[in-house]
Amino acid sequence: MNSKKTLPADAWERGQAIALACAAFEQDVEEEWVAQEPVSCYNCRYRRFTAAAILCMKSRFPENPK
Amino acid sequence: MKFYLCIDDTDNLDSIGTGTIAEQIREKLVARGYGPCSLVTRHQLYIHEDIPYTSHNSSMCFCGEAPASALADIIEIASGHLDAVAAEGSDPGLCVLEFDAERDYQELIAFGKNAKKKILTKADAISCAQNNRLHLSEHGGTGQGIIGALAGVGLRIFGSDGEVKAGMKNIEINQHYRVSELKELPELTRVLELRTKEPLDDAVEVEVCGRTKTVLYRHEYVLFVVRSAAGIYQTINKSEIRRMGEYFYEQ
Repeated sequence: MNSKKTLPADAWERGQAIALACAAFEQDVEEEWVAQEPVSCYNCRYRRFTAAAILCMKSRFPENPK
Repeated sequence: MKFYLCIDDTDNLDSIGTGTIAEQIREKLVARGYGPCSLVTRHQLYIHEDIPYTSHNSSMCFCGEAPASALADIIEIASGHLDAVAAEGSDPGLCVLEFDAERDYQELIAFGKNAKKKILTKADAISCAQNNRLHLSEHGGTGQGIIGALAGVGLRIFGSDGEVKAGMKNIEINQHYRVSELKELPELTRVLELRTKEPLDDAVEVEVCGRTKTVLYRHEYVLFVVRSAAGIYQTINKSEIRRMGEYFYEQ
């Protein structure tokens, strides 16, 4: 992700690559998956959808140091 | 009587999902002897930074049959379950409607459609609920979830909005299925070509190209497919379905 911790709405390959290397990745419930790849920022519990992107919210939850 | 039940804002980042809680409520109602109940549908609502959703702003709705005297019991069961399992820090809301086929629900449907494209308030939801004689209750936090819960009922009554929860989970990707085989799934009643909206015959084969979902379209569970240049019917990826969500209901 960029310095603002965002990805555009459909950067599927980047979303997968980042999530595969991310120690904090945690899969969301299946009905909220969007990406085809199970391990992807787009399927992570810590992502928040905005109008045209997703935002990583992990920094707001330092108590979950996975 | 036919009833509609919808919940919203029950989860946080560590909890079970709102869809699972909706299924648990449905199971409790069936265990009480009510039903049959429908599958749960997920209704995408407006994504805006001023709306305090967890990560995706959606509500979960189902409908069912029960004796006319059961409404208060249904509300009590659902409320009790929400109070017991809703996550810390969430703002749960519950909406239950006893459906009256003679009644005009256009205001409620309009509320649901508006909740997909603009910011609505709790006061808006309470006003609409009073006009339409339905149950709306807050279950902790700010109670902001009543907005999505009410919207979900409106959208489910409208009949052309929402993904079927857990739909198409047991279908293998990169496999071909006849329409007749797909129609054996509880989450699928019709296979329609996306552009023409024409149904496919039972003998036609469909290629499952990736993760896909059935959606509520004209009150049926529909799998939309597209015809490739080679004449093969192929499923649509879930991300594409999410994108289409905003215009399904305009048609």
